[in-house]
Amino acid sequence: MTHVVLESCIRCKYTDCVDVCPVDCFREGANFLTIDPDECIDCAVCIPECPVNAIVPEEDVPGDQQHMIKLNAELAKAWPSITKRKAALPDADEWKDRTGKLDQLIR
Amino acid sequence: MTEGALIEADAVVVGAGPVGLFQVFELGLLEIKAHVIDTLAHPGGQCIELYPDKPIYDIPAVPVCTGRELTDNLLRQIAPFGATFHLGQEVTVVRKQEGDAAGRFYMETAKGTRFLTKTVFVAGGMGSFQPRLLRLEGIEPHVDRQVFYRVRDPARFAGKDLVIVGGGDSALDWTLEFAGDTANRARSVTLVHRRDGFSAAPASVAKMKGLVSEGRMSFVIAQPTAIVAEGDELKAVEVTTPEGEVKRLPLEMLLVFFGLSPKLGPIADWGLGIDRKQITVDTEKFESTTPGIFAVGDVNTYPGKKKLILSGFHEAALAAFGAAAYVFPDKRIHLQYTTTSVKLHKVLGVETPTFDN
Repeated sequence: MTHVVLESCIRCKYTDCVDVCPVDCFREGANFLTIDPDECIDCAVCIPECPVNAIVPEEDVPGDQQHMIKLNAELAKAWPSITKRKAALPDADEWKDRTGKLDQLIR
Repeated sequence: MTEGALIEADAVVVGAGPVGLFQVFELGLLEIKAHVIDTLAHPGGQCIELYPDKPIYDIPAVPVCTGRELTDNLLRQIAPFGATFHLGQEVTVVRKQEGDAAGRFYMETAKGTRFLTKTVFVAGGMGSFQPRLLRLEGIEPHVDRQVFYRVRDPARFAGKDLVIVGGGDSALDWTLEFAGDTANRARSVTLVHRRDGFSAAPASVAKMKGLVSEGRMSFVIAQPTAIVAEGDELKAVEVTTPEGEVKRLPLEMLLVFFGLSPKLGPIADWGLGIDRKQITVDTEKFESTTPGIFAVGDVNTYPGKKKLILSGFHEAALAAFGAAAYVFPDKRIHLQYTTTSVKLHKVLGVETPTFDN
């Protein structure tokens, strides 16, 4: 089990989640955050922190977002750890309510 | 740091959340007296820090209670066992002893409280609660000089120009303390919060707004975005309003109350078997890879583990029996029931009921 960051995070990257993670399991890409499934302890503290509700437990990942489970695991292996909150992406507010942002992901 | 006398103990419980508190109960039934350590200044752990007023529905035989009620009831339940609480201090050292004290553990807290104990119960949950920091460039050197995340000595802030950041109870309580008619009244108080909604007691918010309308303090809806320093001295904080306007607030002291969040911290360095930053235990005694150190509640992991308070209660019961073998190596421990055991009635301080049939 783990928690998973959904597509909603893409091009927003608010990073509020990072501050509360007790085990520092977030990894940072250019315009997306991912959770390392080997580190996440399912404490769920990050869920309410996300302003766009991008984080869910693995079993609650909606049908059209199932690919994000594998993607989180894959990107987490390649990306560096982020443990301190920083400013969201400049156009985060414009992107926060959009869906189908997967093609915007910078790997 | 002043070192206190070495406290010799049978059991030290690390963490005063619900499972740590119930651990005291289960140890108490086996006549093992416990010391309890917690980073927070009060018992309750996550129940108090994260959801004091939210209802919990899955405590057996308690259809609903809040985190605060659960904590209060557990404290009542363990009262007969006279545990000693060491609050507001983090455990920094846990070391297995050799020689004369072989088989025991030396423990030390950040406040210098020292223990020599036969058993350790790690009930550390998701870790110790630490203040969430204000991330602004160049702020670090000012922390604990002009920037504070907690108030240890209110008198230090009296007569000063204060900026207080945050929208929870801590931010509001200290705002009222320093802006009101108290011995610690500041020269000026400006409260900064990112929106005009608070996660604090409504009465405190109303009082704060009253002080604002009387012209005794200011309230600014904005987020801190930069600090202004001259040499070593912090002079002001720049805040940006939702409309994008930047305001400069001069200050002598900056108080930040963004709440607390748990960090696993030093538990990971105690030499215990760890999997995904949780302590691996067996499911017979919930003992770690180090005999004599048990782990119960959210901090442990084993096949099928579920982070539920009720699982933690079960773990605490079996861990207590596991510990009895170390505390009373020559005694056979029998399971007894609190309903019928005269011995348990004695330790609980209750009268043995008599039945007339």
